[in-house]
Amino acid sequence: MTVLVFVESPDDELSQQALTFARGLGDEVHAALMGEHAGPDGLAAYDVSVAHVARGLDVYAPAAWAQAIVELVERTAPAAVVGPGSDRGNEVLAHVAAKLDQPLAANCTSATPGDPPTLTRVRWGGSLLEEARLHGAPMLVTAAPHAVTAETVANAPVTVSATDFTPAVSEADLVARVSERAGAVAAGVSLTDADVVVSGGRGVGSAAGFSVLEELAELLGGAVGCSRAVTSAGWRPHTDQVGQTGTKIAPEIYIACGISGATQHMAGCKGAKKLLAINPDGDASIFASADYAVIGDLHEIVPAISAEIRKARSG
Amino acid sequence: MIEALSAVLLAAALAVSGTLFARRARVLLGLVRAGAPVERTGNLPRRARNEASIVLGQRKLLQRLGPGLTHAFIFWGFLVLAPTILIAMIGVVDKRATLPWLGHQGWYAVLVDVFAVLVLVGVLAALWVRKVQRPPRFEGSHLGEADLILAMIATIALSLLLWHATRIALGLNEWPRGAAPVANALSHLFGRDQATRVLERVSVWAHVLTILAFLAYLPRSKHLHIATAPFNVWFGRTGPGGRLEPLRFDDEDVPEEDIRFGAGTAGDLTWKQVLDTFSCTECGRCQDACPAFATGKELSPKLLIMGLRDQVLAQASTPLVPGSVSEAPTPLVPGAVSEEVVWDCVTCGACVQACPVSIEHVDHIIDLRRHLVMVESSFPAEAEPMLRDVERASNPWGKAQSQRADWAAELGVRVLEPGDPAPEYLYWVGCASSFDERARHTAASTAKLLQAAGVDFAILGPRESCTGDPARRMGNEYVFQAFAEENVATLNEAGITKIVANCPHCFNTLANEYPDFGGRYQVIHHSELLAALLAEGKLAPRRSDTLSITYHDSCYLARHNDVLAEPRALVSAVGRPVEMQRSGKSTFCCGAGGAHMWMEERAKPINLERVREAAATGADTLAVACPFCTVMLDDGVQGGDADLRVVDVAVLLAEALEGEEPVSAEDEVDSGPCR
Amino acid sequence: MNVLVCVKRVPLTGGKIVLTEDERAISTRHLGFTISPHEECGAEEAIRLVEAHGGTSTVLTLGPVEAEEQLRDMMAIGIDRAVHLLSDGGEWDPQATAAAIVTAIRAEDEAPDLILFGNESADAGNYQVAIRVAHALGLPCVTGVKGMSVEGASVRCEQEVPDGRDVYVVPMPAVLTVKEGLNLPRYPSVPGRLRAKRKPVAASRPTRPDARLEMVRLVLPPGLGKHAEVLGRGPEAAPAVIGVLQELGLV
Repeated sequence: MTVLVFVESPDDELSQQALTFARGLGDEVHAALMGEHAGPDGLAAYDVSVAHVARGLDVYAPAAWAQAIVELVERTAPAAVVGPGSDRGNEVLAHVAAKLDQPLAANCTSATPGDPPTLTRVRWGGSLLEEARLHGAPMLVTAAPHAVTAETVANAPVTVSATDFTPAVSEADLVARVSERAGAVAAGVSLTDADVVVSGGRGVGSAAGFSVLEELAELLGGAVGCSRAVTSAGWRPHTDQVGQTGTKIAPEIYIACGISGATQHMAGCKGAKKLLAINPDGDASIFASADYAVIGDLHEIVPAISAEIRKARSG
Repeated sequence: MIEALSAVLLAAALAVSGTLFARRARVLLGLVRAGAPVERTGNLPRRARNEASIVLGQRKLLQRLGPGLTHAFIFWGFLVLAPTILIAMIGVVDKRATLPWLGHQGWYAVLVDVFAVLVLVGVLAALWVRKVQRPPRFEGSHLGEADLILAMIATIALSLLLWHATRIALGLNEWPRGAAPVANALSHLFGRDQATRVLERVSVWAHVLTILAFLAYLPRSKHLHIATAPFNVWFGRTGPGGRLEPLRFDDEDVPEEDIRFGAGTAGDLTWKQVLDTFSCTECGRCQDACPAFATGKELSPKLLIMGLRDQVLAQASTPLVPGSVSEAPTPLVPGAVSEEVVWDCVTCGACVQACPVSIEHVDHIIDLRRHLVMVESSFPAEAEPMLRDVERASNPWGKAQSQRADWAAELGVRVLEPGDPAPEYLYWVGCASSFDERARHTAASTAKLLQAAGVDFAILGPRESCTGDPARRMGNEYVFQAFAEENVATLNEAGITKIVANCPHCFNTLANEYPDFGGRYQVIHHSELLAALLAEGKLAPRRSDTLSITYHDSCYLARHNDVLAEPRALVSAVGRPVEMQRSGKSTFCCGAGGAHMWMEERAKPINLERVREAAATGADTLAVACPFCTVMLDDGVQGGDADLRVVDVAVLLAEALEGEEPVSAEDEVDSGPCR
Repeated sequence: MNVLVCVKRVPLTGGKIVLTEDERAISTRHLGFTISPHEECGAEEAIRLVEAHGGTSTVLTLGPVEAEEQLRDMMAIGIDRAVHLLSDGGEWDPQATAAAIVTAIRAEDEAPDLILFGNESADAGNYQVAIRVAHALGLPCVTGVKGMSVEGASVRCEQEVPDGRDVYVVPMPAVLTVKEGLNLPRYPSVPGRLRAKRKPVAASRPTRPDARLEMVRLVLPPGLGKHAEVLGRGPEAAPAVIGVLQELGLV
C-alpha cells in the first residue's frame, strides 16, 4: 500500500517531517507537489518513490490543490494521506477531507495503521495529547510540527520517478486563491526564524521594562517576544506574541522572563530546543517546562547577563 | 428726615444685595437638589459631633496650626461679630439706637473689639501666607478672588473699629466706657467735631455696604463655602472611610435608562457631590497630601473638584429647552478633568482626610471611573488583563484556582470543603498571598502563628475568589457585585462568623462593603488577631534590640480603618520601632491602591518616594501589613539604593517565634516583581 | 449584511491541566470558561462589520447548556442574537460539528453573508470545521485571516505568511477563519451586559452521530513536570547563563 504525502516543497522542514512520519504508514511513499516549477529534487533522500507534480496550480488555491490530491487518491488508492502540520498542510488536507467526506486528524504525533487506525494528536496547542481512532479510508492526517525529526534514509533510491498531471479543477475550487502578496512588514530578525527569542511576560511590568530584553536579544542576534498578557496590556504589538494564538516558534533557546507559564503561552514556545526561565516565583508553572531556571528579578538578572556577554566578548 | 432717607437707602441696598444673593442661591440649591440620590441622613449624633468639631472647632484646619489659626480667627470672628451686622444696620438708620440688651453689654463690646482685631490679624497672616510664603498648594486656585475677599473682610473689621472709635469720640457708645480697649485707644485720634460726625456716618455705611456687597459676591466666589461648608460637613460620610456606595443594577423599580453607572456628565453627580464642588475653598490641603500630585502626576484633588464645579455651573447656565432635542451634555471626562487625572488616583484617602470641609474626592474619582469603565469601556489598556482575569479566573492574575491553596499544602492547614463544620476563624488569604511569591510568605507565617497559638481556623482554598476589590476600585462595580454576592453566598453557606484577613484590601471589602450584600461577619486584620494572641501570652516571640524596624501603615488599614496600634504592638514585640515622618493616619501610599497594582505609573514612582522616607529613619527593616505594600515597597527597595528588608509583620513575628536570627537585607533572597 | 460567528466554550486552563478520572476530559472544577482568542476577534469583527454596513450579527455555538454564558458574553459586546445548538457536553468530532452547524445555517431565515470561525478551536484544534462547512454550503473559504475589508460584494482578506501577507479576494457569501491580531476585542460595557440578558437565543438540540475521529483518551504529554536545572538566584546566576549560551554556540 502506498502513502501519499502532500509536500509544500522538498526543502520545507515540516514537509520533510511529514515524509518521515509517513514512512511507517505504508510500503511506498508517494509525494504530491503543486505548481509549474515544482520538482522532485531532494525527495529521494526521504524514500519517495514517485512524485506526482500537479501542473497549472502555480497560485495557492487550497480547494484546487486539494482537488489535485483527491484525484491522486482516486487514481492511486493510498492507505493514508499525510500533510505537514503547517497552515497550508492543515488547510489543504481539510479540503481533501471535506471533498472525500472522510475524517481528518490534524497535528498527529504518531499514527499506527490498523482497523481502525489509531493515532495520537495534539490538543491545546500541545499542552495535552489525545489518543484517537480514525474511522475512515484513506487515513487522513497531518504531522504535528516537530513531533518527529526529519530523517533521510541511508539506502535511498537514486532517482524519484516524477509524473506530471493536470487536475480537473472546477471554477469553484479557484474562487479562494492568493491574488497578490503584500510585502513583509517586519524588519530585523523575525520571531519564527530567530535562534534566540528573549520573551517577557507580565513580570516585566511596563512597556519601558522591555528595553533590557531588547538589549539582550540584540546582543544574541535574536528577537523579542512576549506573552498574551503583555499584548493585551498594550506594551507590545500582537506580532510579538508567542503562544497558541500568537506566533509558534522553534528557536535554539527561548529565554522567558517574568512569564508564569500559562498553557496558552507554552503552546507557542514548546518548539524551542531549550527553555531558560527567569522568574521570581520558584513555584511558577513555567519551571515545570523549563530546562534551566534562574530565580529572581528579571530587571536585575537580564542586564547582568548582557553585561556578562559583553565581558566574554571583549575578553 | 435723615433717618427716613437712610432707611430707604438701606432698604434699597438690602433689596439689591438680597436679590442678587437669593437668585444665585436658588440656582445653586436647584443644582444640588437635582443631583442623584445618596443616603446621608442617618447617624445624627455623629453628624452633630462632626459639625461641632470640624466646623465650630475647626479641627481639620488646625491640623496645620499656622494657617489653621489664621482661618480660625477669621471664622470665630465672623461668628462673634455676626450680631454687629444688625447693630450697624440699626445704627445706619438711627445713630442713637442699637440692638436691645446685647448692644449695651460691656462683655460683648470687649469680644467685638478683640475679635475685630483677631480678624485683622488673621487677614494679615493670610496675606503673608499668600503673598510672602506662597505655598504650592495655592497653584491653580483663584488668587485674585481671595485677595478681594480678604480686602473686604479687612474693610469690614476696620470700618467696625473706626465706627466704634468715632462713636466713643462722639459719646454715642451704648456700651460701658472702657469696655472696648482698642476702639477706646483709637477714639483719642478724633475730636467731638463735624469731621468725626461725618466719619462716623461714613464708617458705618462703609461697614454695612461692604457686608451687603460681600453677601451678593459670596455665592459667586469660592467663599460660597461660608454658606455650604456647614451643610457639607453635616452630610459627610459617617461610616467607614473605605466603603464605597454600591450602585443598583437589579432594582426592578428603576427602568434601565435610569440606572446609574457612575458619573458621565454633571447631571450624574449625586447631590452630595454637587455640594462638595460648591464647598471647595481651593485651599489645596488635599493637593498637599496627595501622593500622586507629590510624585508629579497630573492629578490634583483640588483641581479635580474645581473642574467638576466649573462643569456643574456651566451646565446650569445652558439649561435644556424642554421638549427640544438639544446637544448632549458635555462629558465630565475630558470636559471637566482629563482621563489621566481619573486614573492617577490611588484611592488612599489622604485628600479626604485633609479636607476641612468634608469633600469626598475618592467618591468622585470612583464615580468617574465607573462611567468610563462600565459605559465607555475606556480605561488604561494594561489593566484589561486584570479585569478579564478577575471575572473569568476569579483572581487578578489568571492563575488556576485549583492552585490557590498550594502554599498551604505542606502546612496541614484545613481547607474547608462544602458541608464541613465551620472553624472559629475563617482565614481569608486573598489572591496576592495565595499566588504572589513574596506575599505567600505572609500567608505561611500567619498560618504557622495561628497554629502555634492553637487557633481553630481554616481556609476556603479554591472556593475563595477575589473579593472584587480591584475591579471595584477600577470602577467595575458590576463585576465587583457578582463576586460580592458569590463570596457572601459561600461564606454564609459555610456558616462563617469570624474572618481574619491579612490583606487590608480584602479586610476592608469584607468588613465594610460586604454588609451591603448580606455578608455580616466579624472581620479582623491578621495584625489585630496576632496582637491579641500576643497580649494573651499565646505567642512569645524573642525580641531583638538591635533590630530597628520602621512600620509602614497601609492606607486601607490605617487611614480607612483605624488599625494603628496592633501592627505596632507586633513590631515592638520583635524589635525596636522607629516611626517615619508620615505615619499612622497620615501615612503615605505605597502606590498600589485603587487598582494601581495593575496600572502603569506615570512620572515619579510613588513607592520610591516612600522607600526614601523609610530609609531616612535609619531602620534596617521596613515592616508592612499588606501584600501589595510588600510588593510595591520591595520593588522600591530593589529599584533604588536603600538597604532595607521589606517584610510583613506576621513574617517578622513568625521568625522571632522560631528563634531564628533576623535576616538582614543583604541575605534576603532576591525576588522581583511578579505582577 | 448579516454576519454569523461560530464560537466554542472552553475552560481557562491556567498553568496546569488536570484530567478527569476517566481521562476523557479536563477537570474543570474551579476553572473559569471562555472562548478561543481567535473567536473573540471573530465576534469583534462581526460587530464592526454590522456597525459599518448594517444588518444583523449572530453568534452560534454547539455546546452544553452552560455555553449560554459565552453567548451572552458575545451579545454583551454587541452581537445581536444567538443560536445555541445544545450538546450533552460530550465530544463532537469535526464532521459532526460541521454537519450540525450546516443544518443550523440552512435553517436561518436570512442566509449570512459572512460566516466567521476562529482559525482553530483552543481545545481540540482540528483545523477543519470551517472548511467542511464551506464545502457543504458551496462557499469559498479563506483561513487564518488577520486583516479584512468588505469591498462591494467581495471581501478582501489578508493572511500572514512567513515573508509577507497573502491577499485573497472572495465574493460573498463566504466562510472565513480569523486569527487573533485581526483586531482588539472590546471590553463589555455594563449596559451591554444588561441588554445581552434580554437578547434572543434560539436553542435546538441536534443529535450526535457516531464519531469518525473517535477520542479514546487524553494524555498529559511527557516533559511536563520535568525538573529545570536551577542556574542560580538573582544576578549572580549570569555566568552560569553564559555557560549555557556558550554550550549552544550562541556566545
